[in-house]
Amino acid sequence: MVGVKMAAAAAASIRERQTVALKRMLNFNVPHVKNSTGEPVWKVLIYDRFGQDIISPLLSVKELRDMGITLHLLLHSDRDPIPDVPAVYFVMPSEENIDRMCQDLRNQLYESYYLNFISAISRSKLEDIANAALAASAVAQVAKVFDQYLNFITLEDDMFVLCNQNKELVSYRAINRPDITDTEMETVMDTIVDSLFCFFVTLGAVPIIRCSRGTAAEMVAVKLDKKLRENLRDARNSLFTGDTLGAGQFSFQRPLLVLVDRNIDLATPLHHTWTYQALVHDVLDFHLNRVNLEESSGVENSPAGARPKRKNKKSYDLTPVDKFWQKHKGSPFPEVAESVQQELESYRAQEDEVKRLKSIMGLEGEDEGAISMLSDNTAKLTSAVSSLPELLEKKRLIDLHTNVATAVLEHIKARKLDVYFEYEEKIMSKTTLDKSLLDIISDPDAGTPEDKMRLFLIYYISAQQAPSEADLEQYKKALTDAGCNLNPLQYIKQWKAFAKMASAPASYGNTTTKSMGLLSRVMNTGSQFVMEGVKNLVLKQQNLPVTRILDNLMEMKSNPETDDYRYFDPKMLRGNDSSVPRNKNPFQEAIVFVVGGGNYIEYQNLVDYIKGKQGKHILYGCSELFNATQFIKQVKCVFHLLLLTYPKLL
Amino acid sequence: MAAEAGTFLLASPLAGGGVRNRNGPPAAGLGPRSPAADVGRPGAGRRGCGSPRVRVAMAVDITLLFRASVKTVKTRNKALGVAVGGGVDGSRDELFRRSPRPKGDFSSRAREVISHIGKLRDFLLEHRKDYINAYSHIMSEYGKMTDTERDQIDQDAQTFMRTCSEAIQQLRAQAHKEIHSQQVKEHRSAVLDFIEDYLKRVCKLYSEQRAIRVKRVVDKKRLSKLEPEPNTKTKESMFSEKVSQNPSKDSEEKPITEEYPEKIPAEAQPELGSWGDGRGEDELSPEEIQMFEQENQRLIGEMNSLFDEVRQIEGKVVEISRLQEIFTEKVLQQEAEIDSIHQLVVGATENIKEGNEDIREEEGPTKAKVPRPQGPAFFRLWNPRWPADVLRRAGRSHFGVSLAQ
Repeated sequence: MVGVKMAAAAAASIRERQTVALKRMLNFNVPHVKNSTGEPVWKVLIYDRFGQDIISPLLSVKELRDMGITLHLLLHSDRDPIPDVPAVYFVMPSEENIDRMCQDLRNQLYESYYLNFISAISRSKLEDIANAALAASAVAQVAKVFDQYLNFITLEDDMFVLCNQNKELVSYRAINRPDITDTEMETVMDTIVDSLFCFFVTLGAVPIIRCSRGTAAEMVAVKLDKKLRENLRDARNSLFTGDTLGAGQFSFQRPLLVLVDRNIDLATPLHHTWTYQALVHDVLDFHLNRVNLEESSGVENSPAGARPKRKNKKSYDLTPVDKFWQKHKGSPFPEVAESVQQELESYRAQEDEVKRLKSIMGLEGEDEGAISMLSDNTAKLTSAVSSLPELLEKKRLIDLHTNVATAVLEHIKARKLDVYFEYEEKIMSKTTLDKSLLDIISDPDAGTPEDKMRLFLIYYISAQQAPSEADLEQYKKALTDAGCNLNPLQYIKQWKAFAKMASAPASYGNTTTKSMGLLSRVMNTGSQFVMEGVKNLVLKQQNLPVTRILDNLMEMKSNPETDDYRYFDPKMLRGNDSSVPRNKNPFQEAIVFVVGGGNYIEYQNLVDYIKGKQGKHILYGCSELFNATQFIKQVKCVFHLLLLTYPKLL
Repeated sequence: MAAEAGTFLLASPLAGGGVRNRNGPPAAGLGPRSPAADVGRPGAGRRGCGSPRVRVAMAVDITLLFRASVKTVKTRNKALGVAVGGGVDGSRDELFRRSPRPKGDFSSRAREVISHIGKLRDFLLEHRKDYINAYSHIMSEYGKMTDTERDQIDQDAQTFMRTCSEAIQQLRAQAHKEIHSQQVKEHRSAVLDFIEDYLKRVCKLYSEQRAIRVKRVVDKKRLSKLEPEPNTKTKESMFSEKVSQNPSKDSEEKPITEEYPEKIPAEAQPELGSWGDGRGEDELSPEEIQMFEQENQRLIGEMNSLFDEVRQIEGKVVEISRLQEIFTEKVLQQEAEIDSIHQLVVGATENIKEGNEDIREEEGPTKAKVPRPQGPAFFRLWNPRWPADVLRRAGRSHFGVSLAQ
């Protein structure tokens, strides 16, 4: 029985696991059972912004309702007392949160309190609450106190980010700031490690950790190893005993955690992309699985388009329930546009069917004979009526994707993103360009200054030999003329120089060419409908640097790039500092975690990579999820700080 | 709760004696306000929370640690001589005592309604097996429930459901009558939604078992119909049996049973008459036999086609009723929506009226003093509640000049 349960649990994705954990928490920390005739139980949910970010991608408001949540309120908002209801709290154990909870206890806001902390609460803070509860003589009302270890945000079945609220704290900028003090760095690392620790508690597995030397990733690895080790040693309170040991017996395999530093590959986050999800993230406001659109009603082909243009904000949730999204988020954009069209046609056919039925029923025409017809068509009518909600849901999804895809397409057309994508692919694969880089940069119609900067940076990063000073000056002038801020270029220059000096760079230039060897097949036959004027580019699968590192480590391949990666096994009694792995078998499960920020391009690349491998799983995580714009902003900022610290750099 | 439901099902054959007095439980439960009935199920609404805890790897229960912290703090406070309100004395009691505050009126009444619905559910589940088993009165070993008893259950359950939904309506009316904050209001309407949903689920339980019952009765009839002997006498006896059953049937199956008594006497009478004639012992002539046989065939054919028709109609009726159910629900939803639209429209009309009045008020004096070329458009820029002198100043300095040009 236990075995079956654990086997099932091992197969569950991190998304399911976190959802189950949340549901159990909402059910007063008792496993949630679905029951058709159970008595209704109700409660209110109080969360802080962290809790909100964790819950919102996983549970919809309707699902919360089904769990008996009547109200969900932010901790730091005006809340009215509801004296006859139990309250479930889901908050970070921060100073101000604790204060507010104590205040709630004093004010006797609710009938009883189920306190859940996103990550472990310290003893002294627990005593603060105890003190407040005593003072308010509300000790008995505090029904349950739990450490939930859920301090990470799951966005997909196989993707997570650390946090959203204080992401500046663990951003690329924060890690690469030249003026960072040791204590500040400690805080950054502790925050990352705490979240990663929560992640592994929820995953229920102790990983084997690999990381590159001399990077921020190594610091994370050392700290995480220490934290896991301490928890395992304390057998009585260990979070990995019991159930998880059972899991180990059944899978025999521990997952591999590959900690990667953002600085090993700066080109990918700048790359213009061509897959649906990554494009949405690149050009639209896409945040925690919700996309915010600003659309003018004139865009649609409906009669409403006749009205004067008016901007209205709309937000859509792109959830795993959305079949279309699930199927196409990794598809190249032209394919997506085509599929939207197909879906629309099949929907129209269904709609016509319903309409036809309506006219048969005589509901539109004459009344005579309607009654006799009615009896012949009751069965049809019933099926039509019962299929209506499904049809409506389908329509909603089609509308959603039509709007999103249209918005993306507008950006592609306006900024000539297809040209950029094609060019960058060519640069990376060292194919000869049919138009010089300077031409694009100085073409006023092609893209924003930022697009130009991204293109040039990729060229600069992946060039084996830096362009001559004279050439560089020419490029710089063109970029400045195009309205670019040159700070990012300066930073990349410094970074490249540093990377050459650092230990592993010998193979960098070489591998970059290989890794970036994304061959693009250009099909100049433009699609017939919406895609006119946009090239129909099809991706060819090539592994990005991160994927290549993972491949080496997971398959135990020897490669100069990854051979000196450090090896940690928190289960081994004594920490060994060698980079020689004890385990020579290939791994079945791996987690890639990018310290310093990740993106959907890498995620998609990993997903595509693992598709070809039977029975293997990959999870992708990052300290922060950014698109090129946000990344460039951070790079600018780091360079600015760098200048302040070392003024003679320029 | 699933386990609970299961035990009721299993327990019912054992509790045979209790089942017989089928009128007892619903009668006791009928008055949703009888306080005595509640004694049996204390705190029924919360039972889900207290089930045995499963050790989970992810979340860690630190409730005990919290209790320990409470004690630590208490001792520390005592040592420091800090007076802490309430909980210093009687520490043990304090930890386990429930909140002294009286429960809100609303929630206790909500729970009351829930416990009543729960009673209905338990009752339905308890008698489910007997109720569904349509053969019970033929096979004596299952002879626990007659059709009259089933009808009684139907009737009671229906009354009970109606009472419950009325109680919910009452509660809803009351919850919104008292003035509360927006959050409390929202909370209460959500709670009431939950209760309504619960009632719906229990009602579904009932309609399901009723559907099964109807289906079984229909099936049984079909079986008896399929009996191979075309003997009119046995047929007749069968029909008479059905006729005796007839009063207990509900509307949905009436079409079938009513069809027969009409047709049979009409068509079968002459035949019977010939049997009853004086020459009973005489052999029938072959022609007569042939004739009778033909007539029999014809009759059977007719019956069969009638029966098929009836079954079709029956199916349609079921479908129509399902559709009607859906439509009713939709119409009710729309009613609520139309109401809210109506409210909005009324509100908007009021606002427009007020606005117009305000404009008119402002228009009079200002127009008299400074005549402006684009009067109405101009006034829309202003909040009419601004003091008059501010208006005048602003008008002269900004708008007045620009508009005059």
